[in-house]
Amino acid sequence: MIKLKNVSKRYSKDSIGLDHVDLHIEAGEFVSVVGQSGTGKTTLIKLLIAEERPTVGEIEIGGWDITKIPYRDIPYLRRQIGVVFQDLKLLPKKTVYENVEFALEVGGTSYHRIKEIVPRLLDIVGLLHKKDKYPYQLSGGEQQRIVIARSLAHRPKILVADEPTGNLDAVNTQEIIEILKKINEFGTTVVLVTHNKDIVNQLRKRVITLHGGKIISDEKTGKYRL
Amino acid sequence: MTAFFRIIKFALQDIFRNFSLSFMTVIILILMLLSVNILVVLNVLTDKAISSVKEQIDVSVYFSYDASEEKIKEVKDYVGSFPEVNEIIYLDRDEVLLQFKEQYKNNPDILASLEELGENPLGPTMIIKTKETKDYQKITQALDIPEYESIIESKTFGDTEKAINRIQNITDQVEKFAYMASILFAVISFFIIFNTVRATIYSQRIEITIKKLVGASNWFVRGPYIIEALIFSLISLGISYFLVMIGIYIIDPYIAIIFSESNILTNYYNSNIILLLGIQFGGVFLLAMFSCLLAMRKQLKA
Repeated sequence: MIKLKNVSKRYSKDSIGLDHVDLHIEAGEFVSVVGQSGTGKTTLIKLLIAEERPTVGEIEIGGWDITKIPYRDIPYLRRQIGVVFQDLKLLPKKTVYENVEFALEVGGTSYHRIKEIVPRLLDIVGLLHKKDKYPYQLSGGEQQRIVIARSLAHRPKILVADEPTGNLDAVNTQEIIEILKKINEFGTTVVLVTHNKDIVNQLRKRVITLHGGKIISDEKTGKYRL
Repeated sequence: MTAFFRIIKFALQDIFRNFSLSFMTVIILILMLLSVNILVVLNVLTDKAISSVKEQIDVSVYFSYDASEEKIKEVKDYVGSFPEVNEIIYLDRDEVLLQFKEQYKNNPDILASLEELGENPLGPTMIIKTKETKDYQKITQALDIPEYESIIESKTFGDTEKAINRIQNITDQVEKFAYMASILFAVISFFIIFNTVRATIYSQRIEITIKKLVGASNWFVRGPYIIEALIFSLISLGISYFLVMIGIYIIDPYIAIIFSESNILTNYYNSNIILLLGIQFGGVFLLAMFSCLLAMRKQLKA
């Protein structure tokens, strides 16, 4: 599903995002990527959604080589990968409903289908009753749930979550993780980037540890070791 | 088609949800268009002033009283053959006498002297108007040939040459100034629109990046801003035109007093309305769109 072959990303001579990384994630896996700040976790996500390009190496997603993906094809790639951003990236002038709807509108989904999909997604994340609110009217946990709903809009095969619980309390964190687990159970590959030791240990899934841009451990049912 | 309607929907949403920003953008565009129209009005008035000064200028050729009709016709045809000549008015001896009497009707001494002579001492006169003031010199020089020396008594241009040259200089300078002012205004307008649009895009840069990250194509992101530019251009053009019409309605009567001609500006606007609105709309919209596309380049690379 996701293959990285000898991928490096250098921002400058002294700033290395990823350093000769080889990685293979199978379809349907739930993988946690852990590591201290500045170890390349966010760089990995940016490379997966073509927000950045690797300095060297090859990246393949679902058999599609996106290493040198043309700019015009990037929107199509992004509609196939659901991304939960660390800083949410919600459109502040759009309501909860419209934020999720927008992801479908850009892909050309008909209004008829949108009217079916969006309420269902909002129901999954428990926000249907707040569909007409604006993001600033919701709590951090609720905002994070909008992002998850939006990331699922295109029924992606891959969901990438960058520190989705970073600013949440324990209750909200648990709720978000439960949603991610449920998404994974439906067959979606989940790549979770996190700092949260408790979450990783509780998940008992594959754990990839990054340090200095390199993979220093990759365990099938690992624990947070840093 | 669905994408097009969605783009229009997003544009309208943006306009109303960022109402204060939209309002300020329209106000700036209106002020800019009003400035352009002030320049247009000044140009019209300058042109009017210049042409009314030019209309006052002519060359009068005074023939001797015994000059034959045939010879005078020859001169008239000769002068008329110059492409620079706009109009020739010929006054025969009787008409010249009548005009003379009218001119000096309040001066009994001159009229009494005329009576005493018993016969009309005045020769026919030919008044020549050229298209440009600079052409008068050429015409008078053309008449300075030995063939006509015996029938042409005098020409007025010699007396007024300095004045005409001076007027020509002034009108040239005024035209040059108006031209420079137009260029300056165009440059100022460009920067006003460019920076207004850039500020608008800058304030929405995060949203643009987000739209790209959730899978919107570049045209899906750009589209609403182009539609907004179109809507802002139309609204500002409509309002500025309305304000200009009110302004013209108020000042036209005052201008009529100066030029002894009514509705100068109203007539000018009415007869050039399509051109004026077309140029202003095209200028504002294209500039806004260009600024928009330029300002978004960085965000669209996300």
